[in-house]
Amino acid sequence: MRGTLAFFGQTIRHTSILALALGGIVTLCNGTGRAVVADDTIKIGVVLPTTGSESKPGAYQKEGIELAIKQINDGGGIMVKSKGKKLKIEEVFYDDATDSKKSASLTERAMSSDGVVAVLGGYSTALGTAESVMADRYKTPWITTGAGATAIFGKGYQYAFGTLSPVALIGTTSAEFLGSLMDQGKLKKGLKVAMVVENTDHGTDYVNGFNEWADKHKGYFEVVMNEKFELGATDFSGILQKVKNSHADIFLSDAHLPDYITMHRQYLQNGLHHQMVSYGARGPEANARQALGAGTDYIFAGIWWSNKLPYPQAKKFAADYKAFTGHDVDSWYAAPAYDGMRIVAQAIEAAGSLDKNAIRDALKKAQLKESVLPGQVLKFAANGQAEYPFVITQNKPDNKVDIVYPKDAATGEPVAPAPAK
Amino acid sequence: MDSVEYLDLLLKALLLAGVYAAMAVGMTVIYGVMKIVNLAHAGFLMMGAYFALELFQRFHVDPILGAIIALPVFFLFGMAVHWLLVRWLPKSDTPTLASLLLMFGFWLVLQNIAYLVWGNEDQSILTPLTLSSVQIGQISIPKVNLVVFAAAVFCMVVLQIVFHRSWFGRSMRALIQNPYAAQIVGVDDQKTARLTFGLGTAFAGFAGGLLGMLFSFSPDFGRPFLLRSFVIIVLGGLESVSGVALGAILLAILETFGINIALPVYWHGWSFHYLPPSYQQVIPFALLVVVLLILPKGLSSLFSRKWKAA
Repeated sequence: MRGTLAFFGQTIRHTSILALALGGIVTLCNGTGRAVVADDTIKIGVVLPTTGSESKPGAYQKEGIELAIKQINDGGGIMVKSKGKKLKIEEVFYDDATDSKKSASLTERAMSSDGVVAVLGGYSTALGTAESVMADRYKTPWITTGAGATAIFGKGYQYAFGTLSPVALIGTTSAEFLGSLMDQGKLKKGLKVAMVVENTDHGTDYVNGFNEWADKHKGYFEVVMNEKFELGATDFSGILQKVKNSHADIFLSDAHLPDYITMHRQYLQNGLHHQMVSYGARGPEANARQALGAGTDYIFAGIWWSNKLPYPQAKKFAADYKAFTGHDVDSWYAAPAYDGMRIVAQAIEAAGSLDKNAIRDALKKAQLKESVLPGQVLKFAANGQAEYPFVITQNKPDNKVDIVYPKDAATGEPVAPAPAK
Repeated sequence: MDSVEYLDLLLKALLLAGVYAAMAVGMTVIYGVMKIVNLAHAGFLMMGAYFALELFQRFHVDPILGAIIALPVFFLFGMAVHWLLVRWLPKSDTPTLASLLLMFGFWLVLQNIAYLVWGNEDQSILTPLTLSSVQIGQISIPKVNLVVFAAAVFCMVVLQIVFHRSWFGRSMRALIQNPYAAQIVGVDDQKTARLTFGLGTAFAGFAGGLLGMLFSFSPDFGRPFLLRSFVIIVLGGLESVSGVALGAILLAILETFGINIALPVYWHGWSFHYLPPSYQQVIPFALLVVVLLILPKGLSSLFSRKWKAA
């Protein structure tokens, strides 16, 4: 028996050594391959979480970027004047596993070792913040497609860009939407608001945006609770008890998808009900609706994109995305990533070379017309962050979602106050 | 806060303690007998949740029944893991680096298998029980938490009976007290360790099935519970089942009340302040440090030996 086991152990050891050697050879071959094709392609780094807690939005963003790359490559690539020909895009993808340290080091690797001309990625404020420091260090344009906190763009970085409108604007637009419901008489003025946001720049921006509007429009809201929670918390019963004790009329949270699902599950289990409920930019995601069923009805969200947007290019994007991935574009995540890749391609063409400084300068001036995002034009402000209006969606029964604000983009009437179950 | 709100908080803390106890008990029995800090515990919890999900989606098996079915299945799985991997570890009276690395590596393997099989999407089990609650006056008690609490109590009782009334339990206790003396008097340490690892894994799978009803989960599921499980078993005295219950209750009460009760703070005079909810996750870490400094043998060392399961 011992002899058999020793043989078994040796075989495993030998197999492992062989596997490592094979792995090394494959890696070397890959490296060699890249070097050979380097001159005929434009390398774009993509660093996103496709595993870990942010894997779902990260995967959607990756799909958005890859759809844009496919469409550009199908069209022959990007015309680079200095090369005198069209070059195809080669994606260099890294999964940061929702780990900010890994996210920063992989961005660094893409910029320093892989010869990319730009890096896209940084889904979620925490990961985007970690990546952002690399852009100026390696003088490589970095375009975050998933971090909207203003803190990233307030540091004077020259190579950092973002395709998400500032998070503070979600808070402002949410306040504006609720204010409009009060003006219409659907809600009473002076309602008490409880705010429970994640302990990140994202959460802080949301609260600041809401308070900014509330301070300018006295009499609409009374904020009776303003607390923060840690990302990835498992138990919200304590904080929800505080919400209950605050006797608020409106419950506003700002949470990422896993926290939204966990918190709202416990919210419902604790029998809570408010006239209006929001989780910031989260609400209509299919995962949440599958996890909580009718419990997510009437939640409203301030989002960067909706598949209900009436623009023809947005509808075409939704159809192309479905054909490319095999599933519907049921959330906002893919659209800013898709346009992020498109505006980089436009900037490379405008720069006429693969010089990173020239691409950075072109990005500063770039205007992506026929953008799929609200407002239909994507451009960056002086601080590098895009600024376009948010849309407010509201979940309706039977998994329906309507844009309910602004009025000119609305696909349905807002239901306010949310009916008690 | 009035008395009803205090009672509401207390009930929620007790129900949370049930969740914590259910997830920590499997780790305790393995540490007690084998001195292995089972970092793969989070992986077993995650696999338990997916096991209940598969039974629910494919065969419409109620997740509570799914969690019960997980008991024998994960018992066998745990024994197989022990036979394949754990038994080759060098024997030691204290946790070894080799055991930590092995279990950590196995956790990563389980995670990656789950990514391959189920992908990276968050999954949930939605039954009529999931969102329903029992209303007692102004207090709302989630039914699913009641079920998990009952299951945790059931686990504790079964373990206590196993420890005190069976040959296997006596062997486990003997190995916990003195592994060398136990072998001298004829305890088969390998067989007991294999059964113990199976038992610990079975409880982890069972707890995972139940936790899958409370939370959405992905292959990364279990990570936040690992630290709490560790805090609970340190609180409980590392080798004590009744200590696990006490540790779970203490941690849940501190976490729940910590952010809802104003604490006296002296800073240029006395004043009362709430602990911000964003610091809630500091509580287990702080508790771990305090207990290791003041009560290194855990809460159960405060009580008489007869309280100890082992």
